[in-house]
Amino acid sequence: MTGLLQAISQQDLTNSLVQAMVQGEQSWLVSTLAAFMPGLWTLALMLHIARPYMVRMIRKLTLRFAADVWWLSFVLMRDAVMIITFALSFIFFLPGFARNIPLPLTGPIAGVFLFWALLVKLTGDVDDNPRHYRLATYFMVGGALLWLVPQVLAIETTSQPFFAPVGSALTSTNHPDLATWILVGSVVLVALTGAYIFNFVIGAAMREGPSGQPDRRRAEPAPVAAR
Amino acid sequence: MTPDQLTQALNAAFTAGGEQMLENTMAIMLPVLWLAVIALHLARPYMLHMIPRFTLRLAADIWWILYVALRDLVIVLTFIFSIMFLFPDVLLADRLPITGGLAALCLFAVLVIKLVRDVDEDRRMFILSGNLLGLGALLYIVPSVLGLQATGVTDTGFWGSIATFVTSSTNPGLAVPLCWISVAGVTALGIYAVVYSLRQTTSPARPELLSKEVLR
Repeated sequence: MTGLLQAISQQDLTNSLVQAMVQGEQSWLVSTLAAFMPGLWTLALMLHIARPYMVRMIRKLTLRFAADVWWLSFVLMRDAVMIITFALSFIFFLPGFARNIPLPLTGPIAGVFLFWALLVKLTGDVDDNPRHYRLATYFMVGGALLWLVPQVLAIETTSQPFFAPVGSALTSTNHPDLATWILVGSVVLVALTGAYIFNFVIGAAMREGPSGQPDRRRAEPAPVAAR
Repeated sequence: MTPDQLTQALNAAFTAGGEQMLENTMAIMLPVLWLAVIALHLARPYMLHMIPRFTLRLAADIWWILYVALRDLVIVLTFIFSIMFLFPDVLLADRLPITGGLAALCLFAVLVIKLVRDVDEDRRMFILSGNLLGLGALLYIVPSVLGLQATGVTDTGFWGSIATFVTSSTNPGLAVPLCWISVAGVTALGIYAVVYSLRQTTSPARPELLSKEVLR
């Protein structure tokens, strides 16, 4: 080690340390985010499919106020986790990372699926329309599989020779060109979806005209079922 | 060694070191979370005992909501933290409890039971959930104490061999098969939960709030 330090000039050593800290910490941060994404995906999916449990709990609450608190907490947490997961997925739409850091090859498509699930929530009624709920569930399950399968069987299984072909096929750094094309395609789909959402919200507001009023229909009061 | 090689070596050290530090910190936190899971599950009689003391139904409802939300949230968080036990590379690189994946499987099974049955009303399911949580806590805490936290005390002899046996990185022959069993179990239960949720969702979540116009 002493010989090594003597062979390298102080400036070179400083540069090496600075480069290593910047690149190493960036690489660690992105890898950690990638490793944490399965947790977020699982949480998002669990909260989404927990609907029957949450609805069953509501029936037990004796007051509508309590039922509202329970329901709003559930919806808030469920949707916040989805949005956070999508926001973090955005990092994996950056081309430099996919080419240099081993990431799930299909990760960007998972982000698109999550965005489409959010789109269904925005344009439909996932809580009251079973058809919309199913559609959002399919997008969530598809996205989770596209992230979890390569993460578990490829990125985190490099030590298992049996899975080497799978690992090679599903890791972004092994197919940098394909990863870039998938990423570019996903970015285009996200942009198109974003444009549709923009048009849906702003277009609807414009159609209402300057005197347009929000929907003021109130739900008719009704007691919540007894405990 | 050239400056470039030194940079690469340091780069790899930062990445691998940071990852292992994070995973080990989570592994150390998990026994605390497991204890919280067990404590909240077993606190049910106390929580029920408190409810008649409230003079307002609102307070009773809020008390029950807070208990149920906290109890279930801790289970969910513990499972999310346990997902790393489903990654073979993590098990081989870090010193982790060898049965951590099975503990995660027990936790996930409890969550699925809560989804498909009413654990608060069905005594059989409450007992089953309690047993699964107890088994999961044992599967996590025992190897954690004997293998990871006994360094220096159990380096040699009988206890040394036990510590080697229950630590994932020193017993890869058992750690990897247990990991795949856990992955298969979690996958099967996950598919069942998704299918159940899809089949159950045939009506609005809160029909009492829909106006007659919407229902029509």
